[in-house]
Amino acid sequence: MRRLLNSDWFGLYVLVFAAMLVISALRPDFHSSFNIFVLLSTIALSTLIALAQMVIIALGQMNLSVGSIGGLVAIAFAGSMQIWGLPAAAAVIGGVALGAACGAANGVLIARVGLSGFIVTLATMAAYKGINLGITQAQPFYGVPTSVKEMGYAAIGPLPLLLLPAGLAAVLVAWMLSRLPIGRQILAVGGNLSAAELSGIPVTRVIIFAHALSGALAAGAGMMAVARLQIGQPTIGDDWLMPSFAAPVIGGTLLAGGHASVAGAIGGVALVALITQALVLFRVDPYFVQLLLGLVILAAVALARIRAGKAA
Amino acid sequence: MASLLELSNIDKSFPGVHALQDVSVRFAAGSIHALVGENGAGKSTLIKVITGVYQPDRGAIRMDGAAVHFDGPMDAIAAGIGVVHQERNLIPLFSVAENLLLDQIAAGAFKPINYTELYAEAARWLDLVGLDVDPQRPVAGLSVAAMQMIEIARALSLRSRVLLLDEPTASLTPHEASALLGILRRLREQGVAIVFVSHKLEEVMELCDTVTVLRDGRNACEGLPLAGMRRADLVRMMIGREERGARTQAGGARGAAALELSAVSTDLGHRDVDLSLYDGEVLGLYGLVGAGRSELARAVIGLGRITKGEVRVRGRPATIRSVSEALHRYGIGYVSEDRKQEGVILLHGVLANAGVTLWRRLQQWGVWLRDGPIVEAVTPVLHHLNVRMVSLESPVATLSGGNQQKVSLAKWLAARTGILMIDEPTTGVDIGAKSDLYQLIRELSNAGTAVMVITSDMPELIGLVDRIVVMHGYRIAGELANTHDYPTMSRAIMGLIHADPAGPEPAPEAVGQSS
Repeated sequence: MRRLLNSDWFGLYVLVFAAMLVISALRPDFHSSFNIFVLLSTIALSTLIALAQMVIIALGQMNLSVGSIGGLVAIAFAGSMQIWGLPAAAAVIGGVALGAACGAANGVLIARVGLSGFIVTLATMAAYKGINLGITQAQPFYGVPTSVKEMGYAAIGPLPLLLLPAGLAAVLVAWMLSRLPIGRQILAVGGNLSAAELSGIPVTRVIIFAHALSGALAAGAGMMAVARLQIGQPTIGDDWLMPSFAAPVIGGTLLAGGHASVAGAIGGVALVALITQALVLFRVDPYFVQLLLGLVILAAVALARIRAGKAA
Repeated sequence: MASLLELSNIDKSFPGVHALQDVSVRFAAGSIHALVGENGAGKSTLIKVITGVYQPDRGAIRMDGAAVHFDGPMDAIAAGIGVVHQERNLIPLFSVAENLLLDQIAAGAFKPINYTELYAEAARWLDLVGLDVDPQRPVAGLSVAAMQMIEIARALSLRSRVLLLDEPTASLTPHEASALLGILRRLREQGVAIVFVSHKLEEVMELCDTVTVLRDGRNACEGLPLAGMRRADLVRMMIGREERGARTQAGGARGAAALELSAVSTDLGHRDVDLSLYDGEVLGLYGLVGAGRSELARAVIGLGRITKGEVRVRGRPATIRSVSEALHRYGIGYVSEDRKQEGVILLHGVLANAGVTLWRRLQQWGVWLRDGPIVEAVTPVLHHLNVRMVSLESPVATLSGGNQQKVSLAKWLAARTGILMIDEPTTGVDIGAKSDLYQLIRELSNAGTAVMVITSDMPELIGLVDRIVVMHGYRIAGELANTHDYPTMSRAIMGLIHADPAGPEPAPEAVGQSS
């Protein structure tokens, strides 16, 4: 029981549950099936975005280019199907590969050239966005095949189909971080780089792998966004930066690296999605959403700080 | 005895420094070999050559008689050389077992880790070093001693035949240190070649079989048996002359009360602390590790909260909320024990570091700062402490660890605050420079400064200070006038510490008011 109370996600889940109760008591239209469906679709997409950032935070770095990679893959995914007539399955594989390659490029620049992760991803954030705009001339690809469009709104019972790939990714990342050597190596590098190095952990390889994985997850998010929007919109990913950090941090992932929690990140995603939706339901000025999100992040970080102080 | 690892005629230079010249050293299985020398004598460089971090410019390394070459630390580990560095190299949020067997986690990538096996294997190694902790718990929160044992267990798990320990007892309590020495003796019986690097000559004398002394990057001796050797012989080899004691003589008379605490309790745990510090005296605050001495000093300068009682500075009640207020408004300086972490800005030059406390005092018309007066104030102190540097502009990061400590000490000595509290003044200071430092402290007090020295080094305490306050369990256990007679004083001090904490009975020499 104590372990449960001390876990990263327990308090957060209680909070999410309580928020749901309050919102549905005040606004019965909250639990209309349409509303639930939209909420869960948002959560599916945001989970992939959060995971893409979280594996890099675990490493003790940050990836500012998560949104740019997602956007580039989104238009490549839509474009390759519209222009080259690629089947959807092949386009998905190509998209994941492109995302992983973009991420790996970040990793190589950081680990091999020895540049700071912040600067590298700041630069590639602009570069990947530039490629995106160069290809599209800021115009969307409208020719997304029906099969992909249907995916965006397909349901299993009351649940959106998109939860499936997001859930699978979450389980795999959680399993990797807790059971696979490569996952532990990511956390070791984030926890104490010199100790990791002295134990023979191939630090360069670990950094490149983590960035490739981050890119692949961002790619998944980008393609999911295409399915939901029904078009290959070049602006996909522009507004991911803030939520990509918010969810993991609210969920107890340490910005300094070395600790990450998938369950916590999903709780963070759910909380952010709930807040956003509640403000829409209550017809609050959308500009307040940003303000509130900022305050929630500050509160989460302060809370983590207080808890760490108590533990020590 | 045949040597297991042998380094012969090692030369290593860096731009501007000839760190090692023709150094030889041999380590035998089943023997503990001490490696000693002052800061900057080349010990660290030699350790890095042994562990594969540096490659020697000249000279040979042989293991079991066969020449070996280490391109990096991993080569040395693979050859069977295990190192426990002075700094802990653990991953705080990982479990004990994962830290211990990190090399196994480093080996694979996608084959799931068998945690049942990992925990079982870790338990076996923990058993070997006699550490009773749950292998599944995270390392964060364990004592430094336990973390060190985990690192020793890790080195052994790598089938190390040579185990190098760099200042292993530096952050241990006396009790933990003696437990560590016991384990090292056991490992010696099992045939491990142990290299013991330490500043603490008492430990070296007690534990080690042979010794190699380095001085100015050369062998002062190579592999001499320690049996029959005296401490003074070691010191002479280290500094090239006889050691001068800590004994200093009080010059002036004691002045007015500079800092008074009455019935002070703090949020750090102190209860009813009464303490007075007078101008022109050197007060020693003694106690075992964890007695609350550093914490008391920190509470006084505003790093802790005073919950009850009163602090008076020069007779006037004072509420000190920050270090800046302590320094600039009340003239209280505190030299932290952890000088490396808290004391210096590594990228800044020696002058910028040593002069930082003077900036406000020496600025002209409120803003103007000239280097001249700062250099004038700082140079004699740096000279006294024998800081080895290329120039005043050299970044502190380029100095050896010991010299960094001296710079941070110099900063506070140069500040010439009216009240100065020094935590463990000789930590990291060479034996040769120690007596200079004592002299410097004495000069400050003779000039009227109220000096409080927090120390765990009993000879230093009894040699240096005028008056001794003993602290135990966050309370004052008693006060003694120092007669500088070691046997009687040390007995009286230990008597105070081990007296009944509820009502400390006064030891024979104890006096309520020093005379």
